[in-house]
Amino acid sequence: MQNHFTRRDFLKASLITGSAAVIGSPFYLLERNAYAAKEEFEGPLPNIEVGGIIRPPGALPEKEFRAKCISCGVCVNVCHTMKYDAIAVAGIKDIRNFGTPYIKDMRDFPCELCMECPKHCPTDALKNLKKEKVTMGMALIDFGLCFGWNGDVCLSCSKACPMGANIFDFYNGEWGNQPYINENCVGCGLCVKYCPLGGSAIKVITERQYEKVKTPYVDEFKRLLAMSNEERYNIVYGQNLPQIMAKGRLVEREYR
Amino acid sequence: MSYELKDKETLNSELRTPNSLLKLSNLRRFVMFSVLIFFLLQFFRVKALVGGLSGSLARWFVKLIDVFAYFESLAASKDFTTTTLIAVVPIIGIYLIFGRAFCGWVCPMDFLFEIVDGFKNWSKVKVKASPKIGYGIAAGLLVVSGLLGIPFFTNYISHLTNFFRFITGGVFLALNLPFEPSVLVYSGGVIVFLLVFEYIFPRTWCRVLCPVGKTYGLFNKVSLLKLKYYPGECGECNLCDRLCYMNVKIARHIDQPGLRDINCIYCGRCAEGCETKGKLVKLSLK
Repeated sequence: MQNHFTRRDFLKASLITGSAAVIGSPFYLLERNAYAAKEEFEGPLPNIEVGGIIRPPGALPEKEFRAKCISCGVCVNVCHTMKYDAIAVAGIKDIRNFGTPYIKDMRDFPCELCMECPKHCPTDALKNLKKEKVTMGMALIDFGLCFGWNGDVCLSCSKACPMGANIFDFYNGEWGNQPYINENCVGCGLCVKYCPLGGSAIKVITERQYEKVKTPYVDEFKRLLAMSNEERYNIVYGQNLPQIMAKGRLVEREYR
Repeated sequence: MSYELKDKETLNSELRTPNSLLKLSNLRRFVMFSVLIFFLLQFFRVKALVGGLSGSLARWFVKLIDVFAYFESLAASKDFTTTTLIAVVPIIGIYLIFGRAFCGWVCPMDFLFEIVDGFKNWSKVKVKASPKIGYGIAAGLLVVSGLLGIPFFTNYISHLTNFFRFITGGVFLALNLPFEPSVLVYSGGVIVFLLVFEYIFPRTWCRVLCPVGKTYGLFNKVSLLKLKYYPGECGECNLCDRLCYMNVKIARHIDQPGLRDINCIYCGRCAEGCETKGKLVKLSLK
């Protein structure tokens, strides 16, 4: 018996290594992603649901969009080609919307409103609009987490906003510059990413969900503005600042 | 003059010896891989061909949409738009020339199925189901799409959508970009299911079920590309029929000028396999 490493042995070994790599790599990659997900902070406004899925800019109303979208992946890959990577393909959890494009997490990859995906959609499920007329959703500031509402001056969100002065109202006062996002918001989510609070203090919800939560949210906003100094002191120092301290300030704004 | 029937081994070895400078089976794999590579370039942010085979964007300005996907989208939305029409016209134009050549020359599943076929002497197993069933299925799918308001086949079942969705999912997973693991699992599952289905019922998907292929099959009736017979003596060896995995009956129409079968995908195996070395049967654009 010769103890040579024959070609057959080599092929066998490479086949085993190759198949191990092919089978193993998805597990490794999923594990890595799960690790990244664990690292994420709990989002702002935990008691307000997103209310469905947030479509790419220029999407038709939900029912018409669903009827036209053939999930060809042009928008997903156009977004990838533009280096924004905002659009993901919806998973099987919501069976009706399976395979359709949506913005997964605006803390990582917000929509930059380049408007290339609606321009190139072959089915007209995304309609080419001016970016001021986009209605992807509505951004809400968590008043309990925002630096500007808790004794600080922070303009990160308004600086990141592509619409600027049309959208941000400031109620400057003793308790900070108190930013408020009005209803002109298109829901691109750039402010979500550039909020320096760990896990962000801004959440984008769908327009439909906004109609539902509008009243309590605006009431809360008015209540805070009308509040006496002492009450406000208790809220800011008693409840909000400990939460903010726990979440911390992100220097590097990459969540993944 | 008659020829003896040959077993699979001799058949394959003869097929491997080139009988012309440009072998059709090599040429069509070249075409398929070129299209696939153009699609894969999108992951390197090259704006050559973006999207998938059910809908895509060529050179960043030509929108393209698969014909069956077009009809499904139309049935689901009940709304006619010029954008979609403009997107489907180039595809219709291409296949008015080339007929059902999409299946043999572009569809990546054809290549995967060929690999699966290699594991099995499939020529003995032929499922006897009429290819006409496919038109019933296609019509049924259009009705389902209309009722649900979702392009049903293209979104959930289509091998083309799922193939490209799987690749996109895999690349996004590897690059750590936003994606859903369930998309990867589902789309991979569909492809694996089709491969297993291929192993058990060879080419039944292509011949009988696939509505995309059926739609392109209609183009075969009017397309420029067709099978053409040339005068010469046929040895009646039936090699052409045996090599055809789409079950087109080529030999029995030999006395006609040409053949326009809805199942012919113009792979050219009949022309290459013919004992007369492609002098009797040819693919012809004229």
